[in-house]
Amino acid sequence: MEARPVLRPLTTLLNSCSRAGQTRLASSTRRTKKALKLPPHPSFLVSGAEADHITYNPPSAAPSVYHTPFKFLPPSDPRRQAQLSSLLRGSTGLAATAAVSNPTTVPATETTEKREVPALEEKHQVPVPKYNVTREQVAEMRALRASDPMKWSVVRLAERFECSKLFVMICCKASAEHQARERERKEAIKARWGPSRSLAREDRKKRRTLLLRGEL
Amino acid sequence: MKRLRLDRLASQLLAAPISPAARLSRPSRISRSIPQACRHSSLYNTQPCQRRHQSTAVEPAPLEEELVHEPQDDESRPKPLRSSRGLPSPHPARAASSAKLAALHARLSLSSKIPVETLARALVDPSADAHPKYNNANLAYVGSTVLHYHTSETLITRYPRLPMDILFAAMKAYAGNPALHQVARAWGVEAAAAPGGEVDPGLLQFDPMKPTVVMNKWGYVRAETIESQTFKSGKGISGRVMYGSNPFGESSAAKSLPDLDDGRNSKTMLLQNAPANAYANFVRAVIGAVHMHCGRDAAKKFVMSHFLSRTLDLSKMFEFKLPTRELARLCAREDFDPPVARLESETGRLSRTPVFVVGIYSGMDKLGEAAGPDLDSARIAAAITVLKSWYLYSPGQVSVPSDTFAEDAAPWKPAYVDIGEIIS
Repeated sequence: MEARPVLRPLTTLLNSCSRAGQTRLASSTRRTKKALKLPPHPSFLVSGAEADHITYNPPSAAPSVYHTPFKFLPPSDPRRQAQLSSLLRGSTGLAATAAVSNPTTVPATETTEKREVPALEEKHQVPVPKYNVTREQVAEMRALRASDPMKWSVVRLAERFECSKLFVMICCKASAEHQARERERKEAIKARWGPSRSLAREDRKKRRTLLLRGEL
Repeated sequence: MKRLRLDRLASQLLAAPISPAARLSRPSRISRSIPQACRHSSLYNTQPCQRRHQSTAVEPAPLEEELVHEPQDDESRPKPLRSSRGLPSPHPARAASSAKLAALHARLSLSSKIPVETLARALVDPSADAHPKYNNANLAYVGSTVLHYHTSETLITRYPRLPMDILFAAMKAYAGNPALHQVARAWGVEAAAAPGGEVDPGLLQFDPMKPTVVMNKWGYVRAETIESQTFKSGKGISGRVMYGSNPFGESSAAKSLPDLDDGRNSKTMLLQNAPANAYANFVRAVIGAVHMHCGRDAAKKFVMSHFLSRTLDLSKMFEFKLPTRELARLCAREDFDPPVARLESETGRLSRTPVFVVGIYSGMDKLGEAAGPDLDSARIAAAITVLKSWYLYSPGQVSVPSDTFAEDAAPWKPAYVDIGEIIS
């Protein structure tokens, strides 16, 4: 018992001699074990009163598409009325919890039941259409694009007229020679791809078709 | 010598008491509607060459003429029972002594009102016996209309928001040739190696090299259909709804013009899967027999228990092109807030196998969520989930229009059916 702290440097020395560089620190082992030591889920705990019972603890899974969300229920559906009352009760509960000044007094179950909608980052906000481009500006945009499509690209036009790139593409159509030039440029880029990159691109296409078919 | 009246023996449908419900589809009516059903010929059979080699050989008229005139004279039928080898299909009198037929009758738990002779007739394909009073074409036509009616009404009331593409595919999956072929095999029906008068009446008899009947019509067909097929229009889904000539939205009439003498079109008129067609026609004929002998309710029960009880996962049938755009159009159409994808949770963003869980919200309401290996895939998967949960809405067990056929039925309450396609 008493000898262990004394001997520890010696054993570390021996270990480092035998296995170069590999050391197992008691502190990290203990920390890991402690971190992984979770209490069992409450559904697995058998209370003394009811010895015979069924444990219902399904693994996490994607929700079924046959469960129609509340918003998609037609007005004629009886489930709408049934869920409406529970939803109203839930929203009043949420308002009550929001009104409580000290959040620590709120039980954990209530806060997890009704969660807030995840926040959106600024760049992911849905852009509100501005409708700021006038008819004359559209004509000017077309003239610029027709005069020099290399200089007045879609991106530059969108910056200049403060509209979306999609709107520029709706308004203007590049000339046939410009389109052919762009296609040739892309073909030249694709011709430089090696086997790995082309294979990766093909795999990406296959994955996309699988995703749209819901098989991924 | 007393002549055997084969006509009497074979025409069980005429002899059997027809319920008032089934009067709509009397045999005469059915046989007149058969020319609508197209006929396929093979390369080797360009002229009607079915001949009964008997002492009193009768020159059988072509199918169309017989259908129109319905020969009633007993002279046109062969008389002897002595040599059944010459008949194209087994003699109806042999049905009672067939163990296979009795076993099939018992296995299907058919009512005793359905005679085994009818079951034997249901097993004779038009390619084996061209005479309409001895093959199953008429019964199969009745059966196909009954089957398609119940399938479509059940699908539309149970899943009122299905897109037309999926609805047509589901119709085919429940009532198409491949499904009916499987059902017939599950019933334990076997095919004879070759049709003929000497084979067991309990075997399915068809000849892949002879012209047969394909059930590709249901009810009324617009006059414009032929015109639209001439001008190659009606290829889109609305055109398929309007001009599709069969219950599965396919316009198969164009390639099935029954021009038997013209050898040029033979390749297009060749039946793709003759055994499946024969098995399916047998199943339809059994449904038709149940309808004729036991009535409408029994036929509905039969269809429900044998066909509509089969498992079909509709959620696996979807394939989207632009799910996010479709979802945005849906929300605009239904006056919902525009859909927004939000990141619910993520793990291992910088690792080799990250997982992102993306939820789609409309306003403050969550419509659905899905996981994906990258943000874009997860968003698309979530949009697909939301669209599927829209399309696969089901009001549960609701009444179908045919429920009101009963005498003491409640008045029909209109069912909820969606207004139509989101993107077409």
